[in-house]
Amino acid sequence: MVSYPSLFHRSFFRVLPLLMGLVLAIPQPASAGDVPQQGGSGRSSGHPAHNGPADHPPLEVPEGRECVQPAEWMRRNHMDFLKHNRDMAVREGVRVKDDSLKNCSTCHKSREKFCDRCHAYVAVAPNCFECHDYPK
Amino acid sequence: MIDEFATVEGRPGYFKLLALMGLLLLLGSAAFLYIEWHGHGSTGMTNTVVWGLPHVFAISLLVMASGSLNLGSMSTIFAVKNFKQFGRFSAFLAIALLAGGLTVLTLDLGRPDRLLLVMMHMNFRSMFTWNVFLYSGFTLLCFLYLWSMFQYPKYTKAAGAAAFGWRFILTTGTGSIFGVIHARDVFHSAITAPTFVAISLTSGTALSILLLVTTFRMTGRFLDVRLVHALRNTLIFFLLLVLYLLIVEKFTQFYSPAFYDVEQWILTGSYAWLYWGGVVLLGVIAPLLVLFNHQWGNQIGGILLAASFVIAGLFLFVAFILLAGQSYPFNMFPGYELSSVFQDGQEGSYSPTLVELLLGLGGVGVSGLLYLLGIRFFRLLPQKATAPEGWDVAWHP
Amino acid sequence: MTTLDRRAVLGLGGTLAAGVLLAPGVSLLAAPGERTEASASRRWAMLIDINRCTPDCSACLTACRKENNVPLFGEPDRDIHWIRKVELRDKDQRRPTVSLPVLCNHCEHPPCVHVCPTGASFVRKDGIVLVDEHRCIGCRYCMIACPYKARSLVYHETRRSPESNPNVPIRSKGVVEKCTFCVHRLDNGLQPACVEACNSVGGGAMLFGDLNDPHSEIAKRVRTVTSQTIRADLGLKPRVHYQGL
Repeated sequence: MVSYPSLFHRSFFRVLPLLMGLVLAIPQPASAGDVPQQGGSGRSSGHPAHNGPADHPPLEVPEGRECVQPAEWMRRNHMDFLKHNRDMAVREGVRVKDDSLKNCSTCHKSREKFCDRCHAYVAVAPNCFECHDYPK
Repeated sequence: MIDEFATVEGRPGYFKLLALMGLLLLLGSAAFLYIEWHGHGSTGMTNTVVWGLPHVFAISLLVMASGSLNLGSMSTIFAVKNFKQFGRFSAFLAIALLAGGLTVLTLDLGRPDRLLLVMMHMNFRSMFTWNVFLYSGFTLLCFLYLWSMFQYPKYTKAAGAAAFGWRFILTTGTGSIFGVIHARDVFHSAITAPTFVAISLTSGTALSILLLVTTFRMTGRFLDVRLVHALRNTLIFFLLLVLYLLIVEKFTQFYSPAFYDVEQWILTGSYAWLYWGGVVLLGVIAPLLVLFNHQWGNQIGGILLAASFVIAGLFLFVAFILLAGQSYPFNMFPGYELSSVFQDGQEGSYSPTLVELLLGLGGVGVSGLLYLLGIRFFRLLPQKATAPEGWDVAWHP
Repeated sequence: MTTLDRRAVLGLGGTLAAGVLLAPGVSLLAAPGERTEASASRRWAMLIDINRCTPDCSACLTACRKENNVPLFGEPDRDIHWIRKVELRDKDQRRPTVSLPVLCNHCEHPPCVHVCPTGASFVRKDGIVLVDEHRCIGCRYCMIACPYKARSLVYHETRRSPESNPNVPIRSKGVVEKCTFCVHRLDNGLQPACVEACNSVGGGAMLFGDLNDPHSEIAKRVRTVTSQTIRADLGLKPRVHYQGL
């Protein structure tokens, strides 16, 4: 019988699955769904312009009525909300006028003073505005 | 028979090659970033020819990947014991080539940043989705095969058989990317996938010959010439198989008047040079002539020449299938001549740009780098490749 | 089509957690405002009467480009055309030259959807074949598979101009796009832009409607006049019918 000299050190095969697991678990590039929460629940109530961490850039106060969802809920979930609505509109043909990105701009008049400021602060780069129109 | 396996030593020549492959990889990465930044407008692709040179490189590497498993399969499945010493080399080469091909294929996507979507949403009717599983399964099986050869010889047969079966499905899958497309007259044929399999057999064997001889020479190791002669004989057999499939295809097509137009275009149109010069002459006829020649066919130099022809032929075969297949205009309204601002009724034209070439060569760099690192760090090749006394490859051309 | 969300790929735990987090919000989604939905009982289709389509008219092309912000890059083989006029000349010179518009045929068995690895190309409930450009990875296999050359890759960056239609997105480079039958207009009760233009400025060659509604004009016409589809031999069952071909 020919003896086969071991090429790999045994521990290599113990570490391999671990390495593969690590590679799989490497965090995905930040996408809108992974936005971390700004501030604790204690300090984020009302408009973000009034309350927020000290270095949070002031966000423009929206004009008009209440948001389609409570502001606190929106702050936490708007990305999933918009993404869900996007998929429903594109793939299922379900269009809810109030819940569209277009409708956001009726109150949040400026992308730069509202969306971009916070996105820049939390270092996310959603690419909605590459194609979709929104007032500057 | 099996001398001890050993890693190669790091000599200046080795490092030069390593640097060359590294350079290819670097240039390929730069090309990828360039295309990613400037869009596919920086390539020569158009709305008629949407797959170009990077795909030719990628698919050639993928086809050779499954073919390079031949040497291993010959010993593990068909009990040609004298090739057992090349089993490790063969399984590792398959992984290296696959990695290079897949790198190019994924980096040429319009939106490579969305690659994760392929794993999140799967359409099981798509040949591409199938290929995702075929490629990853093949890599896994080759790895298990390799591992068993190193440490668990009792599992080698099982792992080798699984990899052998998988490689046929894999290359059938690659060929079917084209074969199943009804819209394209040049692609659509049940024989497209088998032709890909046959060409993977020839090109994989040819590449193995080329790499074995050069690696053994450059590292000053002994390679019994009878082993190369035996490989030459299998190469001749595979080449005849390719020739047979090409002839059967043309015979069937020319029997039906419905295909006169497209077949006439293939044989005399603007890509006829690629078909006759590349697929037929360089890919099949020239290597056969060299190998059947009494002198050249028995000399290492002649065999290397023929092997290079075969690899060039594979590359041109893939180029022909891709480019001619996309350039042949759709016949939406039979009996009419078409014209429009969208090139309806016109042949597609394609002239590749430098970035595409560099991206494709980047894939060669990945495969080459993996191979070089493999033989340096793993004991893939025997110190002396011998065949037993009296073992004669009886047939000489 | 099998679909896993990212969390399912990267670990089911996240989904559970997200579910728990989102659960209170779901009840809030219950009272939407104005809402429209594609109906599975509809089958949108088009009938083009070639005899009414004149070679020098390009009303449908202009309207489409304007409505959908279809980019022109000034490179003939990379310019995007959702709809184009094709001129047919009889090889035997027996029939006169005709000119007709060709667009995505919105097949019942669309090969582009069959080959798409991610399901970015899909058939909507009402039979419209669409590209989810958020999901397209730009592999271009659909362009290989479509026998009508209906699809284009976005080769260059596009920009919004003052003339752009704000209701329709511009393009992200590297994805594939094609005619949508003006799905955003259909959902708001309007006809596709090309049809509207053809019937107001053009020769009135285009008829659009729901084939499943037996009282619709198009269903009646398809029943009574002889019409045909392009490459019927491929078995794709296109929904763009031509009269007088």
